[in-house]
Amino acid sequence: MASHGVPRISGSQVRSEQLRLKELQHITEYKKLVSIVNLKVAEGQYTVEVLTLTTQLLTENAEYYTIWNHRRRILEYMFTQLPNTGPTPSNSNQNIPNLITGDLRWLVSLLRQLPKCYWVWNHRLWLLQKAEALLPTTAAHDLWHGELELVGKLLSLDSRNFHAWGYRRFIVAQIVRISASGSASSQSMVEAEFDYTTKMVKANLSNFSAWHNRSKLIPHLLDHRQADKTARREMLDAEFSQIQAAINTDPFDQSIWFYHQFLMSTLSPSDTRHAAIALDFTRQDQLRYYEQEILGIKDILEDTRDCKWIYEALLQYALSYFKIGGNTQNFTTTDMQEWLSNLRELDPLRKGRWDDLERSFTF
Amino acid sequence: MSLVSGPGRGGMTDARLPRELRLFVDKHVSYIQSLDTRKDELEYWLTEHLRMNGLYWGLTALHLLGHPDALPRNEMLDFVLSCMHESGGFGAAPGHDAHMLYTVSSVQILATLDAFDDLEERVKGGRQKIGHYIASLQNPATGTFAGDEWGETDTRFLYCALNALSLLGLLGLIDVDKAVEYIQSCQNFDGGYGNRPEAESHSGQIFTCLAALSIAGRLDVVESDRLGAWLSERQLKNGGLNGRPEKKEDVCYSWWVASSLAMIGKLHWIDGDRLASFILNCQDPDGGGIADRPGDMVDVFHTFFGLAGLSLLKYPGMVEIDPVYCMPLAITKRILEKPDVNS
Repeated sequence: MASHGVPRISGSQVRSEQLRLKELQHITEYKKLVSIVNLKVAEGQYTVEVLTLTTQLLTENAEYYTIWNHRRRILEYMFTQLPNTGPTPSNSNQNIPNLITGDLRWLVSLLRQLPKCYWVWNHRLWLLQKAEALLPTTAAHDLWHGELELVGKLLSLDSRNFHAWGYRRFIVAQIVRISASGSASSQSMVEAEFDYTTKMVKANLSNFSAWHNRSKLIPHLLDHRQADKTARREMLDAEFSQIQAAINTDPFDQSIWFYHQFLMSTLSPSDTRHAAIALDFTRQDQLRYYEQEILGIKDILEDTRDCKWIYEALLQYALSYFKIGGNTQNFTTTDMQEWLSNLRELDPLRKGRWDDLERSFTF
Repeated sequence: MSLVSGPGRGGMTDARLPRELRLFVDKHVSYIQSLDTRKDELEYWLTEHLRMNGLYWGLTALHLLGHPDALPRNEMLDFVLSCMHESGGFGAAPGHDAHMLYTVSSVQILATLDAFDDLEERVKGGRQKIGHYIASLQNPATGTFAGDEWGETDTRFLYCALNALSLLGLLGLIDVDKAVEYIQSCQNFDGGYGNRPEAESHSGQIFTCLAALSIAGRLDVVESDRLGAWLSERQLKNGGLNGRPEKKEDVCYSWWVASSLAMIGKLHWIDGDRLASFILNCQDPDGGGIADRPGDMVDVFHTFFGLAGLSLLKYPGMVEIDPVYCMPLAITKRILEKPDVNS
């Protein structure tokens, strides 16, 4: 019902009679399976056989959320009936660890086909939470750790997958939580995650999901490192120099500009509820960073005059710079008028926004 | 592209417009009417879990097109009530479990059909029941909402709760302040919102958060200049909108992005004419319906959100939509301006 990217078939390419009959046959089989599953669950038949039928049905239609609920009802019942320790020699399938790992394995293949299906991700989290509640601690911890590898694989297939990034943050939070009582490995999760974003943006500067995650990790990273004033400023400088290099590489990529905006937002005290990098900024420091960044961006204009992002950033930062008491030594309001007229020319789609921007010029 | 050369006869507005700007009103009406007759297509059965949403999309689309009576009222009412559970929640179709996503669609359909009295007649204390189901899904510690008893949380569900409860006049059942705090905790440096704290800004989630804040009367917490800038950059050269930076355009974002801009008074920050042309270009002029992108297969989801976008852009002849509720404005006005007897 919500198809994405499926080409339209023109009216002349209607189904042949043979295909139509085949489809009708498929419908009959599908409806039969649906009614059997619903009937057996309604009767309370929480058996291996019915569990297998839900696997069959969900493989065909993973969006059928009620069947996921049925599956959990069956599993919950089975969990109360089975031992919670490793494989028994006589009947190796019939224990909780096997049920959980078997389900997790099946979900991997589903996630590869349907990486954006909410219900599949949701069921996976439910299984892991059950594992933690029901299995010996080490077994549950191993499962959480294994998830990081899985989500890494899924992000290598689609590095912008919204679900996968959210899942990754959740898994990391769980690993940190369960190891909070001691192990050093959990403590370094934030370092590893930060390095992961570095790897992702180096592979593709356009990966805004990775830039975003980086913006969220930096404050945690600095707290974790117990960074002092100097270390915090070094971090800010390193980030600025990296993003300036990225801007120089491809000024037409909006992801990079948004990350630059993030760094700039950390300069102003009013924005610190989002993130703070350096905590001890004076007005002079702020002005100095604004000047440094504005001049850095102005330099790109020498080679690239047709990139609207440059003018947009210059105008935005110039206005903030004046607001905190900057002077007109490095650029003037005439420069700003010129940037705006370039912006209007390069980006007519957002004309209404540039009109409002011009009205906000109070000079 | 041969989309504009089809035989579509279009509605009454068409004669005054150039051909490429035509909305094929009649085609879309028959397309929506045909949706429930396609039982010989496997897709019909595979999408049963969306039936209730589909009815809300279809019915609201028909209202926007000026054909509010094109589907039979009694049948719709019977269907909706046949999906109601003892808990007060609604499933996607008879026999499907209750969930927030279908409960809000049900309430929206009942509101559109002016059927709250029918509900009370058929289910004693029906409104209160629904209200209590929704309220039971709020997490009192964080203020956010689960989708159902299995506990998935997402700012989508929070919006669904505020939408349905305000239509029912039962916002008093939940902790609105806590819900607002939760939304604030989802805000990012770009002014946008994700589905959870720390999650990347996404136009769909921004719509749900802004609409929830609108219902709560708390748009004051929005960083509207920064957010408006980010939203306006969703428009691509072809006029269409994407959901996040460096992603492809898609008709459904015509709604999520444009309604968000409208809620913060910045719809003029994108080119409405170019967006309207993009949406119109995604029509199937032969069979009716709108697709995600030009030349793709149509579906009722994109048909509805495309039409909702056009209505927001004041396409001539269309009924005006409410950017907060995603329902005809005249209907939300009728309901929300009624003296509240139930809270």
